[in-house]
Amino acid sequence: MAMFWEFFTFELRFRLKSISTYVYFVLWFTFSFLCVASESFGPIGFSNGKVLLNGPYANSFNDLYACLFGIIIIAAIFGTSILRDFQRDTYQIIFTKPITKFGYLGGRWAGSFVTTVLVFTGMMFGTFAGTFAPWADHTRIAPNHLWWYLQPFLSIVVIQIFVLGSLFFTIAALTRKLFIVYLQGVALFMLYIIGITVYSATRSLEHFWSGILDPIGLILIDNITRYWTVIEKNTLLLPWNFSGDSPGVFLYNRLLWMVVGLLALLVAWRLFPISVEALTAQSQSRRAAKARLQDEEERCPARSLVVAKLPRVRQIFGARTSWIQYLSLTRLRIRTIRREVSFWAIVGLMIVFAVNNGHFAGHLGDENVWPVTYLMLQAVEGGATLFFYIVAVLYSAELIWRERDNHFDGIHDAMPISETTDWLSKLTAIAFVELVLLTVTMLVGILMQTIAGYYHYEFLQYFKELYLITFAQIMCIALLSMFVQTIVSNKFIGYGIVIGIVVLQPILFNFGWENTLYLVGWVPPYTYSDMNGYGHFVPIIFWSITYWFAIFAVLGVISIAYARRGTEDSLAARTRLAMARAPRLAPAAIVFVLLAIGSGAWFYYNAHVLNEFLTAKDRRHIQAGYERDFKKYQLFPQPKVTAVDTDINIYPARRSFDGTATITLQNKTDQPISQIHITDEQQAVSNVTFNRPFHLVSRAPRDLYSIYALDQPLAPGDVLTLTCTVSHTTHGFRDGNEAPEFAYNGTFFDASFFPTIGYDQGYELDDPRRRREEHLGKLQEMAERGDPVYSRRNLFAPSSDWITFHTVVSTSADQIAIAPGYLQRTWRQNDRNYYEYSMGSTHIADFFAFLSARYATRKEVYNGPSGPVNLEVYYYPTHTYDIDDMLASSRAGLDYYQTHYSPYQFTQYRIMEFPRYRQFAQSFPNTVPFSEGIGFIGRMLHKDDVDLTYFVTAHELGHQWWGHQLIGGQVQGSNMMSETLAQYSAYMVMQHKYGKDYMHRVLRHFLDRYLRGRAGEIRHEPPLALVQREPYVWYEKGGQIMYTLADYIGEDKMDLALHNFLMQYRYANANNQADAADSTRGAGAQDQPYPDTRMLVAAIRAQTPPELQYMVDDGFNRIVIYDNKTLSATSQKTADGKYKVTLKVQARKFQADGNGVETPMPLADYIEIGVFTGKKDEEKPLYMKKEKMTQEHETYTIVVDQQPTRAGIDPYNKLIDRIADDNMIDVTHE
Amino acid sequence: MALTITNISKVYPNGVRALKGLSLTIGNNMFGLLGPNGAGKSSLMRTIATLQDPDSGSIDLDGVNVLTQKDAVRKILGYLPQEFGVYPRMSAVDMLNHLAILKGITAAGERKEMVDALLQQTNLWDVRKKALSTYSGGMKQRFGIAQALLANPRLIIVDEPTAGLDPAERNRFLNLLSSIGRDVIVILSTHIVDDVRELCPRMAIIASGEVLLEGSPSEALAALEGQIWSKVVATDEELRAVEAELQVISTHLVAGQHEIRVFAPASPGPGFHAVPSGLEDVYFLNLSRHAAN
Repeated sequence: MAMFWEFFTFELRFRLKSISTYVYFVLWFTFSFLCVASESFGPIGFSNGKVLLNGPYANSFNDLYACLFGIIIIAAIFGTSILRDFQRDTYQIIFTKPITKFGYLGGRWAGSFVTTVLVFTGMMFGTFAGTFAPWADHTRIAPNHLWWYLQPFLSIVVIQIFVLGSLFFTIAALTRKLFIVYLQGVALFMLYIIGITVYSATRSLEHFWSGILDPIGLILIDNITRYWTVIEKNTLLLPWNFSGDSPGVFLYNRLLWMVVGLLALLVAWRLFPISVEALTAQSQSRRAAKARLQDEEERCPARSLVVAKLPRVRQIFGARTSWIQYLSLTRLRIRTIRREVSFWAIVGLMIVFAVNNGHFAGHLGDENVWPVTYLMLQAVEGGATLFFYIVAVLYSAELIWRERDNHFDGIHDAMPISETTDWLSKLTAIAFVELVLLTVTMLVGILMQTIAGYYHYEFLQYFKELYLITFAQIMCIALLSMFVQTIVSNKFIGYGIVIGIVVLQPILFNFGWENTLYLVGWVPPYTYSDMNGYGHFVPIIFWSITYWFAIFAVLGVISIAYARRGTEDSLAARTRLAMARAPRLAPAAIVFVLLAIGSGAWFYYNAHVLNEFLTAKDRRHIQAGYERDFKKYQLFPQPKVTAVDTDINIYPARRSFDGTATITLQNKTDQPISQIHITDEQQAVSNVTFNRPFHLVSRAPRDLYSIYALDQPLAPGDVLTLTCTVSHTTHGFRDGNEAPEFAYNGTFFDASFFPTIGYDQGYELDDPRRRREEHLGKLQEMAERGDPVYSRRNLFAPSSDWITFHTVVSTSADQIAIAPGYLQRTWRQNDRNYYEYSMGSTHIADFFAFLSARYATRKEVYNGPSGPVNLEVYYYPTHTYDIDDMLASSRAGLDYYQTHYSPYQFTQYRIMEFPRYRQFAQSFPNTVPFSEGIGFIGRMLHKDDVDLTYFVTAHELGHQWWGHQLIGGQVQGSNMMSETLAQYSAYMVMQHKYGKDYMHRVLRHFLDRYLRGRAGEIRHEPPLALVQREPYVWYEKGGQIMYTLADYIGEDKMDLALHNFLMQYRYANANNQADAADSTRGAGAQDQPYPDTRMLVAAIRAQTPPELQYMVDDGFNRIVIYDNKTLSATSQKTADGKYKVTLKVQARKFQADGNGVETPMPLADYIEIGVFTGKKDEEKPLYMKKEKMTQEHETYTIVVDQQPTRAGIDPYNKLIDRIADDNMIDVTHE
Repeated sequence: MALTITNISKVYPNGVRALKGLSLTIGNNMFGLLGPNGAGKSSLMRTIATLQDPDSGSIDLDGVNVLTQKDAVRKILGYLPQEFGVYPRMSAVDMLNHLAILKGITAAGERKEMVDALLQQTNLWDVRKKALSTYSGGMKQRFGIAQALLANPRLIIVDEPTAGLDPAERNRFLNLLSSIGRDVIVILSTHIVDDVRELCPRMAIIASGEVLLEGSPSEALAALEGQIWSKVVATDEELRAVEAELQVISTHLVAGQHEIRVFAPASPGPGFHAVPSGLEDVYFLNLSRHAAN
């Protein structure tokens, strides 16, 4: 014990004297200080504007992330505590003393453990100090609770240190090689990413084992807190007991990994040999080889003592010799690397990683797509980028230090080679390692594509991505690392500095330093699109890499100058050497400096002179200014748009367009209007004129808001024509934030490039955190239903009611241009294609877009109950996989919607693909742009797969009714009348194709998304009928409420309710206006109210039987959460060969408020009770009945014919329940 | 050829003054550098081998400034450091071949001839394909010698080359060196006085960074002729008594008894008998005189 104490205190003293200990502490202090004190710094900063920055959730979350990135610190402290003796050759002294294993290992371990824990306490002090920063967001800082700090620290940080530290300690004790200790850290990290890939690709609804087995905790904390509302996140700690949505998972996880840590220590204690002989001999076989060699030598015959003369050789020096020397040095270094186990371990790790991730390329949850090359690259390369960097960092350190580590420097340094030759061969050796890894990546990617049955290999894309872009970036990091390793005198400090620089850049980016010119090694994010290739990202990729490569190359030249040669290591001595070497290196340095300056200047000219450089914060500031200056005009009476006629020329090769717009406006108010206000967010509008005398009153900077005065006011009912130029011109390239609308192949822009009449509320900042930052006050809530003013404004385009639309659009000769409307004619002029589209006199929502690309087309005619409809799909020629699915869904949707809702108002329905820079599909009148990122490459691998393409197509088609026939007012709830009803419509189309069992499985994913969505709510969750801007309510919750209600009252009843509602309220305000052709005047033109959710709920209520009316209230007007659970299920065989099942169930019901505070509700609900045969996830119902439950616990006895295997309450999760998977359990047989 | 070292000084960052205004002139042939641990031998040799710079002073090799024209020196240098390691998993023949390329022997035939000859000379031929990391200490040392002799170097610096060699190999190595050393400069540092006596026409004794004596071993011996006296003393008390009175150069144990050697112009007293002077006496006498100053 005394010996233990001796080693323990020695270790502690040693660590406390070491500067690195304090550096680590300050690192954690600063990290957690900034997490609290600075907006958008830490992982929590981004998550949710209401989660407390020093609350229990934030502390737990930051602790987990600290432990993930702190792996390197844990490895550094634990790993070196043992290795120190071997690096400094003190082991001979120590192990010849009579020491005990326990004293030595225990003392070293305990000293490291205590040191690491002390270092990590910097987290707590930093957070605490951060809460006092005067500039911090104090609405998110609560009074400090000691337990909120201690509980996460004890249960996360201390245990992680114990587990990971013990693992590193054991590996270090057994291998006694630091490289392997670090490699192990990297391997752990990679294996973890592999695990996360498998998890997220396969079992996304599994929350028990995945949480318990998670060694780092990212999945663990997600499983436990996935549905936590703001209130819960701000009051609950990760539970040490069996409460919460994932009972016991945290406890089991911690126990499991503590056991793993203990086992590791046990292994170290058992296997560590405590004798010098055993510690020094590398291995049995090598020892034997050495002995054999010496035996051989002794048996050597005596030789003559006469000295033979050595031959004369010629020494030749010059460029050719330098080249041969370079080759020989490179060959030697690569050979040394190739003969090390660690190299093969890295390659093996990469193969395992790539095979695994490649296997899951194109799988996400239950959706499957073809593994096209960009997806395969994303899978095999995307997650490995940091790995490539770390390998570059490890090997550059190894190569820079190798001669010294091997004590070969005396001989090596006196060789007549130039520093440059030597240095270049080191760089080449790193390049070799990385090229091997990248080639492995490519080969595995191609292999996995082949296995997946995808044979359209895009070798050129692999080549560009891996060998041009990624390789160049890796070599930049390698150059940086070689420089750092040259300057610092300690390999490990070098690792830390370089990894730190790499990891810091994205953090700084989020922090608001978005300038590529000073973000070290930064390449702005780019997206490959099958349609557009690397497209307009090529210049930014090329110039940012050139710029940084030039800078790193300058560092490279400096590191040649400072390269260690000889015995002197002091910076002063090496500076002297560098000065001596400088003249010969100067030309290279000058070339690279000039390249850096030149590329930097060119970059600056493009990103800052040709284009305005705006950070995210600048852009928010502009938005805030707009709101501050012009919100006062929100209700300023304005005429409404009634017709749009445009003439647009798209220039895809220049990523630009220009044209004119003629907009017909009508005064639909009851008073004269003398000013016309125009919002122009994109700075696209110019040359505004009216067909009556006018003058400009004011124009805000950036043309955001212009006010024109009409010399003669526009009388009620009067019509005015606005004519203007619209255009967008792309100049050079930008530092990120390229307009995604404009592509060489795949232009898609919408009405935001046209004048918006009046103030646009949609441009307001909606994140409360950002609003506080801009001192804006709370976001205005949407108006209540029935509001006299907002009810008369249309939800989608408040400055319009319905419009007629006509356009001529032209594009380059190789492309097709598309806009809403029926094609009138096409022609070719000046080597350009022209298209004229018109909606004739049909009224459409003021919602239009223009597209242009090199499309392949598929057309067919659908003959339905209301006449033929032309179905057309415009797609990228190789994306043929989903076309049939899209057409089938369109036909099925037209069938269903026309049968149950109303006739389709158009005679065409067109889908067109656009690049995946934006990932959505959007329903314009008879025109649906559909991103290549969410469709066109779908495949059904298993019968349970979510057919996303079919679903999205049906959803967007549904909007032709819900959104293009029925439009709600600009009041609370209206959004659900388009989104929820389109969602429900698509569910019905899906159900008709795939059946109910399938829908039940799919809906569990949607339930999960709803519950996660509300957990991330930044304002307050509204009930469905009052939804404002909460997509998780209008999509996932709305869909589930409608689906369940239809299930309870009957699909036909629900569809009848929707039909009645639609027929009564569609086309509100469509027939009281003038259009361009025939202008009418008079008070008859005044706006009427648009429908709102009160009318929808009433229509549904009318079809709902009295005993289920409560479901309408629960579903639409409240936030209701059930906690249903099956407590036990037993079955007995009866005398007549049947099975009697006794089922004990529990049901609870809560009403939640907008913040997630739950209060119990009385129960008088119909809940399904079911008994099934078949194994889990493949159940076939034997019995299913809706029982009215009035108390929390009920016991049901059910007799079924077959042997039951599963039984439960609400087995299909039709009701909203936070723990969905305890509803059904296995039946036990007695 | 001549190597002229003029007034070089070196202070290490930790304050140790390794070289204090040291000057030496070394011509062709073998030059022995004798001195105790920490005398500055290795510092001096590393400085000549271009691996470190003195704070002041100059070194000239036939008009080549060794301190600034390092590349020129390295081309004609053969250097065996006192301690060196090897790359794991590399064979001697591969490594020598590689080093030969670095030394500018670009003609493959000549390179092979030279590498093979050196492997033969250093008796590593049979194990040339074995990994260097499996070599014993002596074999490794021989490999070090072989690499230092690649490319017919004209300036050979060998730091403690015979350490770790068995007597036969030591002799063989000394023969090899002397066969080469007639036309080139060979600087041999050692604390084995016999190495110098057997090989070196000229030598220097250095201590604390200073030259105590420079000359040929025979001249130094001649200077002491008849002034070295020896006596066997039985007890420690007796030894102490002699030490207090006379200048004792060294003591050796002979069959458990101290045989002391004393420097004195005439017989220092009864029991002493004149002995022929050895190079060791020169060495110890210089050191003890230096310590006395």
